[in-house]
Amino acid sequence: MTEQLSEALRQSMEEVLEKMFFVRALEEPPEPALSPARGLLARLSFEGDPSGRLTLHISEEAARSISADFLGKDEWEVTAEEIGEVICELANMICGSILSRVESGASFRLGPPRLEESSPDEPAAEEGCVIHRTAVGQGTLTVALQTETPVWTTAARSAY
Amino acid sequence: MSYRILIVDDSRAMRLFVRRVVELSGFDASSCIEASNGAEALSVLESEWVDAILTDINMPVMDGEEFLRRLSANDLLRSIPAIVISTDGTGSRMERLLSLGARGYVVKPFAPEDLRLELERTLEVVHD
Repeated sequence: MTEQLSEALRQSMEEVLEKMFFVRALEEPPEPALSPARGLLARLSFEGDPSGRLTLHISEEAARSISADFLGKDEWEVTAEEIGEVICELANMICGSILSRVESGASFRLGPPRLEESSPDEPAAEEGCVIHRTAVGQGTLTVALQTETPVWTTAARSAY
Repeated sequence: MSYRILIVDDSRAMRLFVRRVVELSGFDASSCIEASNGAEALSVLESEWVDAILTDINMPVMDGEEFLRRLSANDLLRSIPAIVISTDGTGSRMERLLSLGARGYVVKPFAPEDLRLELERTLEVVHD
């Protein structure tokens, strides 16, 4: 199921970036940086089938760039507060999109995203965690998803 | 097109995005009204009439489900078409919200065209 969750994560990131931020994600994800760029870290938890948590890290330049695209402003016009709100919304949409792809038939509840500003840390892969990284402009977006229960997609469940 | 549209979302960034899409769709964005949750929206509707409501579901104070229930229970307000904009694209959630009175459902992420079409369908906009 990890493969399906990983694929759902990749598809969700691409779809959210393209539809809501007008950004095309690179097909070939960049190698993890030896010294991750400073950026923003957003975390949110979710309840449902499955439950778990999502962690999103985005470099400062990528965060500013996509926030400007989302809000229809020039990059210099976007405030730090607005960037934080947009990144929380980005985490919210990616998480909702993943769960809508892998849901069991029951709906889910997303917790409010929490923002940790100027974090240099990208999410690290842990057991039971899927992670996807993509280039956004000159920066990087990394999302890690960890579920507390095994994930069964609707298609997989119907096979039984 | 001159319609008054109420945008209900706890995310200020999302309200601004939806307002932009409404404007790009040919609607007059200056007549959009905003509220950050269901309770605030009901308060707005005590003094303002709108032609359509675009509402999020997962909000503090009063979420979208309760907001739709209150709209449906009000003889006057139930005639205002409400479109849900939500990250939850699960079939069970969509069915529940449509049964509560939502006239349309747009799942995030959505292309601007998707929201425009849903608004036009709900408002029965006719193009020349």
